[in-house]
Amino acid sequence: MKLITAIIKPFKLDDVKAALKAMTVEGMTVTSVEGFGRQGGHTEMYRGAEYQIDFIPKIKIEAVVADHDVARVVEAIVEAARTDKIGDGKVWITPVEGIVRIRTGERDDDAI
Amino acid sequence: MAFAALDRTELLADTTLRGADFAKAHAAVLDRWLVSIFDEIFERERGVALVATGGHGRAELCPFSDLDLLLLHDGELNPDLAQQFWYPLWDAGLKVGHAVRSSRDTLLLADTDLATATSLLSLRRLAGNIDLSDSLAAAARFNWKKGAKKWLPQLADAVEARHTTSIDVAYALEPDLKEARGGLRDVHAIQWSLAALDADSGEAFDQLAVPTGHQIGRQQLVQHYNTLLAARVELHRAVRRPGDRLHLQNQDEVAARLDDDNADVLMARISSAARSIAWASDEHWFDLRRDLAGRFSRGRRRRHIGQGMDMVDGRVELADNAPLDELSVLRVGVAAATERARIGPTTLTRLHQARDIPLPWSVEARELFVALLARGDDAVPVIETLDISDLWCRLLPEWEPNRCRPQRNAYHRFTVDRHLLEAVARAADLCDRVERPDLLLLGALLHDIGKGYPGDHTVVGMGLVHDIAQRMGFNDDDTQTLVLLVEHHLLLPDIATRRDLDDPATIRWVAACSGTIERLHLLGALTEADSIATGRSAWGAWKAGLVSTLVDRAEHVLAGGEVEDVTTSSERLAVNSELMARYSAVSAPLIITDGNELTLVCGDRHGLFSRVAGVLAVCGLDVSEASAAGENGVVLDRFRVTSAFSKEISWTRVERELLRALNSRIAIESRLADRARSYRRPVEAPHFLEPKVRVLNEASENYTVIEVTGPDSIGLLYRLTRTIADLDLDIASAKVTTLGNDVVDAFYVRDQHGNKVTSPEDVTEITMALTHALRPITSTRS
Repeated sequence: MKLITAIIKPFKLDDVKAALKAMTVEGMTVTSVEGFGRQGGHTEMYRGAEYQIDFIPKIKIEAVVADHDVARVVEAIVEAARTDKIGDGKVWITPVEGIVRIRTGERDDDAI
Repeated sequence: MAFAALDRTELLADTTLRGADFAKAHAAVLDRWLVSIFDEIFERERGVALVATGGHGRAELCPFSDLDLLLLHDGELNPDLAQQFWYPLWDAGLKVGHAVRSSRDTLLLADTDLATATSLLSLRRLAGNIDLSDSLAAAARFNWKKGAKKWLPQLADAVEARHTTSIDVAYALEPDLKEARGGLRDVHAIQWSLAALDADSGEAFDQLAVPTGHQIGRQQLVQHYNTLLAARVELHRAVRRPGDRLHLQNQDEVAARLDDDNADVLMARISSAARSIAWASDEHWFDLRRDLAGRFSRGRRRRHIGQGMDMVDGRVELADNAPLDELSVLRVGVAAATERARIGPTTLTRLHQARDIPLPWSVEARELFVALLARGDDAVPVIETLDISDLWCRLLPEWEPNRCRPQRNAYHRFTVDRHLLEAVARAADLCDRVERPDLLLLGALLHDIGKGYPGDHTVVGMGLVHDIAQRMGFNDDDTQTLVLLVEHHLLLPDIATRRDLDDPATIRWVAACSGTIERLHLLGALTEADSIATGRSAWGAWKAGLVSTLVDRAEHVLAGGEVEDVTTSSERLAVNSELMARYSAVSAPLIITDGNELTLVCGDRHGLFSRVAGVLAVCGLDVSEASAAGENGVVLDRFRVTSAFSKEISWTRVERELLRALNSRIAIESRLADRARSYRRPVEAPHFLEPKVRVLNEASENYTVIEVTGPDSIGLLYRLTRTIADLDLDIASAKVTTLGNDVVDAFYVRDQHGNKVTSPEDVTEITMALTHALRPITSTRS
């Protein structure tokens, strides 16, 4: 089992949600976050002082998926979220040791 | 659109290309590439230029320096074109300070922002519209000069603020080559300020003078700058990452890349260059600040301060007609320290013509020298000025090999020379504690003077100080005292932290080494001055308390008292009996915690001490001191602990775990292994002390003292004490000192019959067992 975390542009949320649904990923957690990457939060037409760094609003999506689904889920997110402009974000994968569905007590793959 | 790939591998691998040459060549390669992309994208655009600012503008790019680029336009720029330009740069992995602005916007920004204003001073056109870039460069320079009254004070404040955030490049163990005092930025700041003074940078640079017989003009300052730049380039090459701080673990590699024999040679070169830069910078800003404050006197403000000296423009100068004699240097020094002023350049030049002080020194010479040292912190910049001007070493030739000499260990903040000056400054605060302040100050100045010479620095230092004292005209008794101060300057801190102060042999030893109460007081004050001047980790309330106790007890013996008067405290005995009685009443382990101290009373069993040490380690506590006493099968153990994570110790968990360890069982070793994994240091921590085990039978009358030195690790005390228990030895007391990443542990032990361990075979086995136990937990699994 793996936790897939994606940081994306807010207006891309619907596209990514749709893509995940198509992959039969039925559950996910979404948070509003702020961040920046290599460009320091500046756009291509930045006019300010070089040393300033700005936080840009982003959306974080987290979903636990089975190992055999990881590759295509990541692919789907990347495709759906890409705009070819800086600030598109990143996706990363972390191992999950265990997961329990609270209501039923199901574990691991049954709980995904 | 496909562009030519950026290939810098050859350039980066060319080890013959170093420092400023590399930085220039690197900029050239990058610029060619940038221009090729620009030309392709903007070939049809007239009103746009690509300019570089800041370090990039200076054509000075270290392997991982940022590129400071500006797409300059005349009012409007097609955003698509800008985008097409930046993306290949980002995709090539370059860190780019990217901006798209018109000249007007740029100048507006520069008007209110110091960093932007200064970065424009080195503006350089890479490609595109020449008029656009030239006029911006000219306007930026013009505005900078016009706003000098506004900018220079801000710049002066910025320099000062920068200096307070890190230790000087010249003295730091791991210097920040760019931002700290004496670093690259200081030179930039000088250049920027000269650009504001309506002076051509070139000429004004030459006026920067450190009168030493040779001037530090532009050439020399540039040379010092290049020394630091070369180190920065090789640092980037070595770590393959941006950064300005020359960490210990990288110093050897950078030294090798620059053909220095070892890291010490490299750091000495860097220290020396940085000191000159810092000095030039201080001189420059001193004058500039006076000018800004409106004191444009230039020789007209002259105040006589006696003894043939004047204060001119805030500096001490020899009066024009004053005669020059062998004591002039010292008189000027004392005056400068007293007035808290700098020394004038002409005076420094003139002082070179003074003759040397005839040997042996006269009383007046000695008194002046001591008077200078007695100014404490105010003497430090004065002595540094005299040193940079080559006047100090004429007074004290033995100083020379100690100049800028690095001290590579975790607890020394300063180079040797600076450490000695700091020790003098701290000693000046303690003069009222001793009968002979002059001997204290000289002792502080000279205690490490042997470090610049090969061999054991204490032994060498003793010989040097003997000659120096005789040269300065001290009588034999005073000379002996000074030599003793050098010989025993580490006696008190070492004994206080590694020996049991309740053991009579300890006190007798210190009393014997000191000889007289007067000398004991001198050693006490010297210890404090030396420790504070060493670094934060070398002195604190606990250590100060131990040294003070040691001095008091030794003084009692030297005054003729009995050592037993001070080593057995009846108060403590009374408390102990009370605790023993409480234990007997309940027959269950009694745990008392108070602040930093844990007291345990329980039935004796083999390995008890190490078990408690293990539990404390599992709870994340470090032991600094411990003692064990016992009678009739009951022991009373005391532990003094600190927590690395919080000031307050939460004892509830400790008590719970301790009771579990005593009444049932806990898997100490396994838990410590878990902790070792969680708290593993990411980078190999540097170690400076040789791992060593010493078994000493002369340090105490009734106990064998085992002293273990080695790298600190989680659970070390537990492993060492467990090994000692496995060797069937009982621990009566223990002292633990941490020096950076190393520890020194001392254990007072006896065998099961209550005797010292004297047989050579036993000593060998003990040494072997404890050497093995020093190795950290992770490496004992084979």
